[in-house]
Amino acid sequence: MRRIRIFAVAVILTCLSAAAMAWAALRPGPGPLQDVAMTVDNTLDAVASWYRRGPGNRRPDWQAASHQIHDGDPDRGAQVMIDYGCGACHAIPGVTGARGSVGPHLDGFAERAYVAGVLPNEPGGLVRWLVDPVAHSPMTAMPDLGVTEADARDMAAYLYTLRGG
Amino acid sequence: MMDEELEIQDGRTARETLQQADSTTVSPSPREAEQALETLGERSALDIFGSQSTLNIAGYGADRVYDLTLWMSVGFGVVFAFVMVLVWIAWARNRPVGKWWVWSGGIVLPMGAIVTLMVASTSVLVATTRHDPDALVIDVTGHQFWWDIVYDPEGIALRDANELILPVARPVTLRLRSEDVIHSFWVPSISGKMDMIPGRVNELTITATETGQFRGQCAEFCGLSHPLMAFEVTVLPEQAFEEWLTYTQGEARDAARPDLLAGRDVFLKSGCAACHEIRGIAEGARLGPDLTRLGARASLGAGMWRLNQGNVAGWIADVQDMKPGAQMPSYNHLSGPDLRNLSAYLVSLK
Repeated sequence: MRRIRIFAVAVILTCLSAAAMAWAALRPGPGPLQDVAMTVDNTLDAVASWYRRGPGNRRPDWQAASHQIHDGDPDRGAQVMIDYGCGACHAIPGVTGARGSVGPHLDGFAERAYVAGVLPNEPGGLVRWLVDPVAHSPMTAMPDLGVTEADARDMAAYLYTLRGG
Repeated sequence: MMDEELEIQDGRTARETLQQADSTTVSPSPREAEQALETLGERSALDIFGSQSTLNIAGYGADRVYDLTLWMSVGFGVVFAFVMVLVWIAWARNRPVGKWWVWSGGIVLPMGAIVTLMVASTSVLVATTRHDPDALVIDVTGHQFWWDIVYDPEGIALRDANELILPVARPVTLRLRSEDVIHSFWVPSISGKMDMIPGRVNELTITATETGQFRGQCAEFCGLSHPLMAFEVTVLPEQAFEEWLTYTQGEARDAARPDLLAGRDVFLKSGCAACHEIRGIAEGARLGPDLTRLGARASLGAGMWRLNQGNVAGWIADVQDMKPGAQMPSYNHLSGPDLRNLSAYLVSLK
């Protein structure tokens, strides 16, 4: 009986390692596994935001409200920031490879008072800055990357999710 | 297990596979070749899943290596199962083993397996490293941490860097050298790897069998930024490849806007030309990658970043952040407008 048990354990371990190898070779992207992962992720997010709002903290968040960009998609914003190469100069939490130290760190960007020291940090100012930085600050080292207004809105929406510690 | 492994030798020979590759590749229509040229450099292999995978086969060498690996895995699987069954039987019967077991299991079987493996792997090695006298020659020289590439060095000697453009279904002999330390040239989808050793020339003949975009990587530890030393590989239809060679030979594109002209002046006056060549503007420098068609490449910094003005500007301002240990100094003493103009100019070179 003991031998059978040892053999069963060996077989199960072999199968598990084969499954792990097959999973590692899978193409990333949509699929049943990703759905499960997304559900877990969304649930955790919901719990975290419920906890952050807390029982004793029910006042409206005027700052968050002033940073609402209604037609901006934060997830797409993080993606287009990779395509424009923002991460070569800026460290941006949550954007792949963005750990540059040429320009300012963008963690906690939603808390800043000014954009680049020249425009008020509100949706209109940030979008205008992203579309044409040189027009607002002629000596800036930040190039005009030809950002479209739609892309800028998505990027701004993402930057306003960065609330700092 | 023996039969399965012997099939590698009894099956296709090197020549047959090559001919098969030739005949299965439909000669592309002019429109297709045009399309391949138009989309060249638009997308980086960084955005393509499996562009650096031995399982995504697009070359003759990779095909042979895959076959060998597959049959070896199947063979070893069979051996493993067989041994497990033997263990089970030995365990269940609880009897001392006879001499016969020692001779067959300890000597005959291992010898047979080793000889089979040796014959199979040697045949693959011979097939994948065979030279072809009619092959196109490309010089590839490894530097810390980038690749200098010269197409047809005895003929047109077209210099480029960090991107390899190949014709499909045509053997290409790579003459691999190194300028500093040992590097290794590896495009997993197309062929096996070969070391690049200072002071000698290693020849590797590869044949791409599929058009598409792939990624190569330095496969020998060469210093601090070894993992950041990759390159783009694009396999074009034969006709598109010839066209590409023809139109890439000329001088760099002219600066057509005031900011680009200013950027060109920054390039000349800041000393960039001491290391980098831009044909028609500043020629002769060999210390850094050739920048004549930088804007047309699929990626920046030896296959590591998407090519766009943001990344180019960040690169110039802080090279050591993006590629620690690179020979190029960071140019953060450039004024803001100078940096913007220079990056705009470099990206406009297509």
